[in-house]
Amino acid sequence: MKQRPLDIHSNDNTLFTTEQCNNHCIMCCQPPRKIDDIDHYYQQNIKRVLSAPKDLPLIALTGGEPTLMGDKLFSLIRLIREQLPNTEIHILSNGRKFADPEYAKALKLAGDNKVMVGVPLHSDYEKDHDIIAGSKGAYNETILGLYNLAMQGIAIELRIVMNKLNYMRLPQMATFIHKNLSFVTWTAFMGMERVGFADTKSTHIWIEPIEYIPQLCQAVQLLDDFRHEVVIFNIPLCLLPEQYHPFAEKSISDWKNKYTDCCEQCRLKEQCCGFFATSTQLYTGIKPY
Amino acid sequence: MKYYLLPFKFTRIGDHEVFVNEVGDMLHAPIGTAEQIVNRTIEDPELYKSLVANFFISEIRIPALLDVYAERLAEKKRFLDDYTALHIFVLTLRCNQNCIYCQASSRDEHCAASSMSRENMRLAVQHMFKSRSQYLTMEFQGGEPSLEHDLFLYGIELAEEINQTEHRHLTYVLCTNSINLTDEVMATCKQYNVLISTSLDGPSWLHNQNRGKQDSYEKVVKGITKAREILGADRVSALMTASELSLNYPIEIVDEYHKLGFTSIFLRALNPYGKATDNADWEAYTNRFIEFYKQAFEHIIELNKQGHVMIEEYAAIILRKLLTPWCTGFVDLQSPAGIVNSVLIYNYDGYMYASDESRMLAEENDFTFQIGKLSESYENLVYSPKVKEWSKVWNNEAIAGCSDCALQAYCGADPVRNHSTQGDLYGFRPTSLFCKKNKAIIEYIISCVIDRYDELMPIFRNWIR
Repeated sequence: MKQRPLDIHSNDNTLFTTEQCNNHCIMCCQPPRKIDDIDHYYQQNIKRVLSAPKDLPLIALTGGEPTLMGDKLFSLIRLIREQLPNTEIHILSNGRKFADPEYAKALKLAGDNKVMVGVPLHSDYEKDHDIIAGSKGAYNETILGLYNLAMQGIAIELRIVMNKLNYMRLPQMATFIHKNLSFVTWTAFMGMERVGFADTKSTHIWIEPIEYIPQLCQAVQLLDDFRHEVVIFNIPLCLLPEQYHPFAEKSISDWKNKYTDCCEQCRLKEQCCGFFATSTQLYTGIKPY
Repeated sequence: MKYYLLPFKFTRIGDHEVFVNEVGDMLHAPIGTAEQIVNRTIEDPELYKSLVANFFISEIRIPALLDVYAERLAEKKRFLDDYTALHIFVLTLRCNQNCIYCQASSRDEHCAASSMSRENMRLAVQHMFKSRSQYLTMEFQGGEPSLEHDLFLYGIELAEEINQTEHRHLTYVLCTNSINLTDEVMATCKQYNVLISTSLDGPSWLHNQNRGKQDSYEKVVKGITKAREILGADRVSALMTASELSLNYPIEIVDEYHKLGFTSIFLRALNPYGKATDNADWEAYTNRFIEFYKQAFEHIIELNKQGHVMIEEYAAIILRKLLTPWCTGFVDLQSPAGIVNSVLIYNYDGYMYASDESRMLAEENDFTFQIGKLSESYENLVYSPKVKEWSKVWNNEAIAGCSDCALQAYCGADPVRNHSTQGDLYGFRPTSLFCKKNKAIIEYIISCVIDRYDELMPIFRNWIR
């Protein structure tokens, strides 16, 4: 996989760490591959960090599953901290490896307060989460991992990717997060990118946002009622009731962001996340404001 | 269906069965669901998932996330780690009012005795700093503590001095009827950022009748106005106590608070101590109070709907217990009980007591909850055989009538009340009016949350912030 150059003007500067993953999420936009690529990307990423613009605001570590790098993850983070001391580091991880408290502790040592971990949660019910994650035991390890990260005082972004299998329980998930994961820095409800598994297995997984908006709004409202930070990613404003617009972010990376013809007449285009250029189809129900 | 039951309790409220787990998480379902859960015949798959996710049942014998549940419970009981945070200093029994329901057996303001010595104040402040709580509240009570300005100031100065090396977060509260807020008292309050907690029963005719004085209301309102001007409106709060007469006027009382610019009210029932014990029929009083509470509560909801800020503090405490994972610090509804764990009293008589009510009993020559002389060591007092004895009955998880009550997680244990009203520390729930009142009001609040969620949640969210 070819990595894009780190660019100070981009909102998406990423170090791709591996194509391997210990989950096999049914809607994965970047389906994992079993190849021995960790050293290859590690060496590549060292060079990329060394040549990166020094005032890069944010760098993201992604995959696959970055924690499969084991201790190399910490060497890479230490290098970033050394070379780019002011850069925030965002790790996108399924969190399972942090079920080992020592691993969470080591992350804190390496990354200190510059690190945030983004962790997807697919359901509040173990078996649903495991089905979506494509791996038995994933849920329990992820929840323990979240607790261990929190014990270390590491910032957590919780990510809920909304799909056909979990949208019915979005409000219950919000209650679960409020009660059991109240320490997360924020919760992001994310629309699916229609690419990878989400597209090829669409009959099982795909659901039009317009169908889950009521559950989404109820979940967002509940978290907001209890003063938790909550955001909506990847849902165009025209699909959201106006009172939920303040929660919606311009979340789609600039290099894969697009707007359609009807967006040209929309007065909210500048504030709107638009669409994934990578998606095979647009959402239904799009209309200009 | 194969699963294991985790400890939870249930009750019927209105048309619902309400299920509460060990950490106070609540689920509700149609009547008959409890039977389905026990018989492994749960029909609603989403309810089944919620029961598993929220630790009501488990698909394996020991839940894999038991440590998460344990951490949740530890958070709900965090007040125990924090140790005693509220320290009440009863400066004097002298008072300039003559309230018909006085629970503290106050004496005339001109009588000479009944005030705390400086030596005892010094010992008391030293005991307070023995608590390991990072947050210490020093609350001055009476009688009327503002009549003892020099002692009040002396107590604060001692605390400030010790705190130079202790570095705790100190909060001072003056519980005053606001009639004697002299420039001297106000200067001390201003200098040390003292909160004023005053007492106002409602419209002037009602307040004056309760106080046994003709002009009390005017003086209190004047005092409140003065305190607000000097200290800021947010530094002055008021409490009401519902006398038998008050029970007929829920709307008028709430409106009075609103009119005077208060943004919160605590609808407080009389407690059976001091003069208040003369109250004829406590059962009738309790029944009437419950109705009074509901009427006042609904009126407060109406004010909120009209866009006014008005919080009912008792409901806010219950809502925090019901709807949030966090610990609440209200000493009257704790388990283990608030006595000693969350509150200690340093009385004017030179003795330490277990709670505010404990020292009120002492005025009726009942010294059951007198812990010991302030001149004794903190360890001897707080870990005394007496306190150890109380600790056997201060958990509602472990006393009959509470241990299987669905509302246990939202309520508390009160051995002092059991003793004073029922003659033993353990108490008997079927005839306990403390139980009756709390149960009725907590159930009412739960039914509000279940049946009127969309209507009331926009209001409740502001109450529990």
